[in-house]
Amino acid sequence: MATSLPRARTPAPITGAAIELHNLTVQYGAARAVDNLSFSVPEGSIFGFLGPNGAGKTTTIKTLLGFRPPAAGSARVLGLDVVRDSLAVRSRVGYVSESNSLYDGLTIPQLLAFCHTTTPRWDADRVARHLRTFRLPATGRVGRLSKGMKSQLALCLALGGDPDVLILDEPTGGLDPLARHEFLNIIVREVAAAGKTLFFSSHILSEVEAVADQVAIIRAGRLLVCDELDHLKATQRLLKLAYSAPPPPGELAALRALPGVARLEAEGRGVRLLVRGDIEALTGILRSRPLAPRHLDNVPLNLESLFLEYMKDGAEADAEGGAPDGH
Amino acid sequence: MEQKPTQRGVRPMVTKELLENRWKAGLGALIALLTATLAIYSFSWAAMLGPMTLDTPILSTPDRELLRQALTNADIWTWVNWFGKNAGIILAALAAVLGGTTIAGEVSRGTILLLLSKPISRDRVLLTKYATAALILLGVSGLASAAIAVSGWLLGYPQPLGGLLVATVLVWLGSLSILGWALLFSTLAPDSLRAVAGALVVAVLMGVPGLTPGGRPWNLAAYWASLPAYQGQAFPALELALCLIMAALPLVGALLLFRRRAF
Repeated sequence: MATSLPRARTPAPITGAAIELHNLTVQYGAARAVDNLSFSVPEGSIFGFLGPNGAGKTTTIKTLLGFRPPAAGSARVLGLDVVRDSLAVRSRVGYVSESNSLYDGLTIPQLLAFCHTTTPRWDADRVARHLRTFRLPATGRVGRLSKGMKSQLALCLALGGDPDVLILDEPTGGLDPLARHEFLNIIVREVAAAGKTLFFSSHILSEVEAVADQVAIIRAGRLLVCDELDHLKATQRLLKLAYSAPPPPGELAALRALPGVARLEAEGRGVRLLVRGDIEALTGILRSRPLAPRHLDNVPLNLESLFLEYMKDGAEADAEGGAPDGH
Repeated sequence: MEQKPTQRGVRPMVTKELLENRWKAGLGALIALLTATLAIYSFSWAAMLGPMTLDTPILSTPDRELLRQALTNADIWTWVNWFGKNAGIILAALAAVLGGTTIAGEVSRGTILLLLSKPISRDRVLLTKYATAALILLGVSGLASAAIAVSGWLLGYPQPLGGLLVATVLVWLGSLSILGWALLFSTLAPDSLRAVAGALVVAVLMGVPGLTPGGRPWNLAAYWASLPAYQGQAFPALELALCLIMAALPLVGALLLFRRRAF
């Protein structure tokens, strides 16, 4: 379903950074939830923030909103320091939390009135329009809504303030595919098309792939990669090589040492190479080797495959006691 | 920066707090109303029950003397049974529940993230919650006093209105100290139950010195009520000052802790 979404657009021209992290470290007691994280989110981009459970995504978002102070480093949103200018940051940011927790005891009009008077630039007409789009009731208790409807209501409230940056933390968790499609459609239409910045974390990689133009992947609080999604996909491929006979260990070692080969997995006569960089050049080298593969398949990677490959990289780096480089 | 962070938001926040606390406030008001009304209605039974009560061996001499006076004076009877005892207990319990659920309740429901994502300072959030709870306590205290005034007038034991007003303010100020402690625990505790329990423990500890010989001056809860003030014989300046200090200290602590609390 998500693949039929209107793909956001080509990456937005970078006019400035909507969000900048510089060596950000956030701790829970002695444990580092975010570890020396640095990247920037261009203004007007749709930025997918990915990582497994416990990677530090929610902690990073909480720090951006001033819920949790950094132990070291700094973070800026729209040029404003998230600690010193927290109020100003929050006046220009819309936020939907992971739990979508709203005041269940209030009615929808009461919740709207609360958000109206606590949110600058509140646009009641826009909120009413979104409520109609999601077919949400205009009256009744918030507590009687389903989890999915609460997610939709939370998005309506976040959009109601006409935010310059919209931060969504796992926003579509409780939604069915149809509702998720509508949810993302609205985001793309309302936020991205207006040149606003969308920063969102999600486990549903197909939806990130459908809308995001930039992604960052973190693991154990550390950045694994931050890049334009199209560039990532264009410069990373899986080469499947088929040999007449299982290649000898020496050949495997030689393949592993070739420029751009990030990982090699061999099984019988087949070899899988994860390649980063100039794929055409590497393909040429492979074909000209004395022990050339009988067959060579150049397989593009989707975001899910890329994500899994980076997770493997991270796990290997952890096993070796180092951190992979984010670029 | 295109727009100043909003400085509005107090009235809707108060409305939200009142809506969220309406059941607690309603229950507290009902209990206070019934107990206060019973306090004055029971005066007519006092003469009958009095002799038996006075013979109770657990009563200390000052208590026995006060009770002896109360059996023949409706003002003293009402003060003893409401301001001197039950008002403090009921308002302290209500203050503990209202204060203990303020932040801890928001945290356990996850709504704290929605609240703190708004451009409202943490001080303003906490003070608004405190003010709303204080308003509810004042309402409950005032309602009970109004019930006493009306009941006293109907029964032919009109209560001193000035004394009633001063006693209402005093017991309300006293309950604010428990509200402050509850708020402080609420900024620390992971759930409302522990915050409420913590505040109730403080309330009990305040009264413990009164149980020890010579400990009455250290019974902080005793300063929430003043019989001479109720009877219009003295202005309770010391009591008011102590109640204000006891209310302010935990509130300042709660503000400092909430500013630093990470979510």
